[in-house]
Amino acid sequence: MIEFDGVSFTYEAVTRKHRKGRSADTKPADWGRSPDDFWALSDLSFRLEDGELFGIAGHTGSGKSTLIQLANGLLQPTYGRVLANGHDLADKKAAAETRRDVGVVFQYPERQLFAATVFDDVAFGPRNLGLSPEEVEARVREGLALVHLDADTLGPRNPFALSGGQQRRVAFAGVLAMRPTTLILDEPVAGLDPKARRTFLDLVLELHREQGLTVVIVSHNMDDLAALCDRVLVLNNGHMHAIGTPQEVFADEKRMRSIGLGVPHAVSLANSLTAQGVKLPLQPGLPTLETLADAIAARYQASPAE
Amino acid sequence: MAEQALFGRYWEADSVIHSLDPRTKLVGVIFMMAVAFSAGNFPAIILVAIATIAFCLIGSVPISQALRSIAPLSFIIVLTALFNLFWVQGGAVYVQWGPLQISEEGVRMAIFISIRLTILLLSGSLLTLTTTTLDITEALERLLAPLARIDVPAHEFALILGIALRFLPQFAEELHTIRIAQLARGAKLTTSPTRSGIAGLTSLLVPLFASAFRHADTLASAMEARCYHGAQGRTRLQPLAFTRNDTLAACVLVGLLVVTIVISQLL
Repeated sequence: MIEFDGVSFTYEAVTRKHRKGRSADTKPADWGRSPDDFWALSDLSFRLEDGELFGIAGHTGSGKSTLIQLANGLLQPTYGRVLANGHDLADKKAAAETRRDVGVVFQYPERQLFAATVFDDVAFGPRNLGLSPEEVEARVREGLALVHLDADTLGPRNPFALSGGQQRRVAFAGVLAMRPTTLILDEPVAGLDPKARRTFLDLVLELHREQGLTVVIVSHNMDDLAALCDRVLVLNNGHMHAIGTPQEVFADEKRMRSIGLGVPHAVSLANSLTAQGVKLPLQPGLPTLETLADAIAARYQASPAE
Repeated sequence: MAEQALFGRYWEADSVIHSLDPRTKLVGVIFMMAVAFSAGNFPAIILVAIATIAFCLIGSVPISQALRSIAPLSFIIVLTALFNLFWVQGGAVYVQWGPLQISEEGVRMAIFISIRLTILLLSGSLLTLTTTTLDITEALERLLAPLARIDVPAHEFALILGIALRFLPQFAEELHTIRIAQLARGAKLTTSPTRSGIAGLTSLLVPLFASAFRHADTLASAMEARCYHGAQGRTRLQPLAFTRNDTLAACVLVGLLVVTIVISQLL
């Protein structure tokens, strides 16, 4: 369980004047940026429950990456607290422990591969934990097995010689080998082709369901978020724009469009059909492409004349 | 992500100095160095310092911002000042501590050198604050053009400089991303010569080099796709041209040099 309690964060050096304010106030523009950009995150409060699949949506620069680094103690909040299982991450020991517990797969993780063999790269994390060679090997096999790669055939190969999708899975295995209980994925399917995308997301779902991992997915693909997540947090310029189940968050299409984000395609289509006066026999809840297609088919089979 | 005031960040503004020809500014900076070195006494160096500050103000660059941009290099000033403080002797002795002593002449020299170095750094910084890197490289290429006749690869030289400057912030950012990713995997990123220290370092450098090669490859393809074939027959969308302001700037600088030399000689 990770809890954000009134968290604000800025990359600027905070002067005494700002501290005295004790809240997110503004600062004149610096190097062509608007004063609003001073705070990367402002006054964020939410709780990540154990075992949930949590989505974070927002534009580039909305504070997503900052949030990730705060969640595993790589950054410290300027104001407020981040608590992991009740321990304040301002404490260095708690932060180090959390970093072990919270696995982060950053954007384009394959760009962080460095070792001469796949085995060594996956083993980097476990070795940093100071495990014995036998334990390291067991962890590497486990990590590679979780991403459906064979340790015996791929282990001795050069990671740079693999395909893009495989490289990403190797990098993913490197994080899983640390045996995290929470997994944070930053744009996990960016730059993958549709098929690799599907496979990768299925893999994430599988880990979530079978290994019981708490998963956080950062994405700006609303379709993925709506299909996968239990809850979604929408960030806009470091502010919390909305939080709730996909159904709650995507109910107000206008509000999502106002910050330049959309809603899932199916929701958008259903909304415009309803606005045109087409009554669809939809179940309550968010329509998916499948249920929407069924509803439209049912509607026109009932009265083909229209 | 970390917003650092780098020496060389362009400060967007609309000022006379911004609109000067980059060649004027490039030569002007070299000229300012000559001025700073020809100032031989306190009145002269203070005059030059005031002029430098005036140039910053004319360029619409706030003094605080200009100073921030040279802050990372301030250690040079501090080191040189300390060296002079203890090395130069003469006049009344203020502090005596073992073999070390600080005298009047040393203090005087330390202050003088600090001002001179600050002027040098500030004027260099003013160039990069008011000129885009594209313009600087273009100016360099044009200034080196006469050397191309004796087979100095002026265009290639400017191109290399331009690409290096363009990718510097890019690599800084990528290094940052790689660093936090490896930290998240429990890397101990130290430079200690132990095994884990070296492993930590390779975990940063290998991805960084891989990324550099990837960028180089993409850039080469992009340049070829645009039919880049070197300097021959290459024209510019907005050719550099001197204006009356450039003449004025040259006059101001020459005037400043003359006055500085006169003050240094007379006072």
